[in-house]
Amino acid sequence: MLTKIREKAQGAFAWGILIVICVPFALWGINNYLDTAKEAPVASVGDKDFYQRDVNRAYEQYSQTLQGMAIDEQALKAQALDKLIKDEVLLQYVHKEGLVASDDTAREFIKSLAYFQVDGKFSDKQYKALLSSQRISSSEFVNRIKNALIMEQFQRSIIDSSFASQEDIENFFKIQNQQRDVSYVTVTVPKLSERPTNEEIASYYQQHQDLYRRPEQVAIEYVELSLAEVAKTVAVTEDKLKAFYEEHKDEYSTPERRKISHILVAINDKTDDKTALEKALKIKQQLANKDFATVASTVSDDKLSAKNGGDLGLLTPGVMEKPFEEAASALKAGEVSNPVRSAFGYHLIKVTELIPGSIKPFDAVKEDVKKAYQKAQAETAFYDAGEKLTEMSYENPDNLQTVAEALGLTIKKTALFSRDKGEDIANDPRIREAAFSEDVLKGNNSSPVELGADRLLVVRLLEHKPAATPGLNEVKQEVAAAILKDKAKQQSMEKARQIKSRLQAGESLESSAAENKLEVKKLTGLTRSKSELPEQLNEAIFKAAKPMGGKHSVFITALPSGEQVVVSLSQVKEGVMSEEDKKQLALAKKNIAKAFGQTEFNAVVGSLQAEADISVRSQAELSKAQ
Amino acid sequence: MEIYDTEEERLEAFKRWWKESGKSIIMGLAVGFAVILGWNYWQDHRKDQAAQASVLYDQLLKAVEADQKDTAEKLAERLQKQFDGTEYALYGELFRAKLKVQQGDFTAAKEILKKIAASSNPELKNVATLRLVRLMMANGEYEQGLQLIAGVDAAETSSFAGAYDELVGDLYVALDRLDEARTYYQKALRNGYQSPLLQLKINDLTAPEQLENQK
Repeated sequence: MLTKIREKAQGAFAWGILIVICVPFALWGINNYLDTAKEAPVASVGDKDFYQRDVNRAYEQYSQTLQGMAIDEQALKAQALDKLIKDEVLLQYVHKEGLVASDDTAREFIKSLAYFQVDGKFSDKQYKALLSSQRISSSEFVNRIKNALIMEQFQRSIIDSSFASQEDIENFFKIQNQQRDVSYVTVTVPKLSERPTNEEIASYYQQHQDLYRRPEQVAIEYVELSLAEVAKTVAVTEDKLKAFYEEHKDEYSTPERRKISHILVAINDKTDDKTALEKALKIKQQLANKDFATVASTVSDDKLSAKNGGDLGLLTPGVMEKPFEEAASALKAGEVSNPVRSAFGYHLIKVTELIPGSIKPFDAVKEDVKKAYQKAQAETAFYDAGEKLTEMSYENPDNLQTVAEALGLTIKKTALFSRDKGEDIANDPRIREAAFSEDVLKGNNSSPVELGADRLLVVRLLEHKPAATPGLNEVKQEVAAAILKDKAKQQSMEKARQIKSRLQAGESLESSAAENKLEVKKLTGLTRSKSELPEQLNEAIFKAAKPMGGKHSVFITALPSGEQVVVSLSQVKEGVMSEEDKKQLALAKKNIAKAFGQTEFNAVVGSLQAEADISVRSQAELSKAQ
Repeated sequence: MEIYDTEEERLEAFKRWWKESGKSIIMGLAVGFAVILGWNYWQDHRKDQAAQASVLYDQLLKAVEADQKDTAEKLAERLQKQFDGTEYALYGELFRAKLKVQQGDFTAAKEILKKIAASSNPELKNVATLRLVRLMMANGEYEQGLQLIAGVDAAETSSFAGAYDELVGDLYVALDRLDEARTYYQKALRNGYQSPLLQLKINDLTAPEQLENQK
């Protein structure tokens, strides 16, 4: 229970963080506002409008966090819209209340986000790259962060300030650690073998036709284009590989590496161009019989590199000014350049290390080249074939043969499947959706269905079975079995009811159990969390009314197997905190306080929503407006 | 409007008019400028105050998170003294009440909450009232708690109705008036009120005949 509370609190709490983390997604729509001014908003809060794409974006985020869970798309979209509205209401409220976040706070926060960090440190480059990939300016982003921060300030004023008293905790454990004593009998479901009469079968069938209804089904034929298949067909010749190798030579070579040092004679207020050049030439002369590094460390005006004997590390193209780079690239190892002018002054450059570039010979990398070649070719071929598939299946909508022959594909077939369930290729919901699309049901080829980036399919209808209710004769056996099952269940329920009323009349469970040849089980000190009983039974025991006035509380509960359990609840003992609980007292207090805070916060948001000017348009209104 | 024959007459008339109303016009303009300047100053001042309070409040949140009670209390007091009138001061008070409860000083906590409950912020008002009643319950003041809730204006509290109903249920359980408790818990549930604790409490109060009906 405690963990449940905690999860709940955290789950709802996370939205604040989510706003921040998902900001880039949420912004997607903004850039498109200008050209969609005519589109009707889906909802508005005050003077803020939300469009369908905002909802779609929010929905995408939402479904990402709930990945793998089967939740109805419409319901989720409604939730996403609801969240958009709630967040906006809250945002407008905190602005109205005058909450603010400073630039410093926002900056600190952004720096702490793992999103923008490289090796645990904030990276400006990463930050700018991420922002520009989402097409958002830094100031806009900072603004969003500030909004999120003040919304969180308000949220925490309610949730973090809530408290739980000792009494609250004790009341919780009174129920949570409660113990219950029971005795019970299990009434099994009898096995009936007597065949129901034809009349019974007919009337049951009439009453339960829904159960036997068969959903609409289709079988399809399809052609599939896959990258893997295409790659296999790419022919390789020595000439083609060599040509590919020549074309992509830089991928198979290591570039030349030059390590350079320099001495700078700076041009500044004290030293003009002429003096600097003269000084540089003088130094160059000295270098004839002096060590470059020693001279650099004493005379170079580039103090930073002077410390390391003028070392600048590897020469990377594009970093230095052009003349510098050209001079450095032309030098032999160990050679010192003539003075080179840059914006800083005159440089004397020396190449301290030179590792010439190398090219791996074709034979050494042939396998790699082949793989790369096939992949590149297959991708192009796959793309081309995809285009063709799209075109031809559209131009010849009444058959798949044409396109299959043209592309050398085989036509495959599926068994019947319904909208909700299918096997093999029809297991994929995208295929089922295509198969049941209006166009395909009419007898046309589907538009290409993409399954990932490397599979493309076109389907067409093979057989269409509308929803139908099978005749009685087809399902007679099934109906008979269902009747027997029903009867057996009725009988066991009847027996359970008899036992129950006898218990309520004061008879002991033992005597009525003996009469029915049932075994009485007794359990004392049952708790909510620890029990060997089936979950349903334990839950029912703890949901049952308490015994009153010395009379046991008697009730029946059904197990999933259909068995009926008659339970007599004799005693309920109030819970106290166990030693284990006491150790966790601080945690329990925190969690219960948070649960209080969370419900209070929900009420606050509800109240703000009630006051706000919110309008939501239904789908019908939207289509009318367009 | 009079009709003037010559330029001179027109000038005369203007001079006359200026003599009569010139002063008030200048005064009016001066007052207007003063108001605009004053308003701008006031706005800047308010923003500045809020910005300072915001930083202090962030520190408070951090102190509370790190369980540094003394620091937290001092920060909350500073918010109240220096930035009274900002929302942050009010939030600080909510935390101060919590700190008092943690110190076992219910009387002080109740005083603080009563003040917030009398503030003009309708949302915080209800939050403070709920907390106040919970403290009364911990003190054994059940009847007083019920009275306080009965005096709350229902129209102003619609979204808090579930929370109040649950609390009334709790008070009735404490008074051992279980039928009434059950009624209020169920009322809270019917209003779509979601609380993990509420379901637990309702399950614990199942009425004898209710299970009968379920079958």
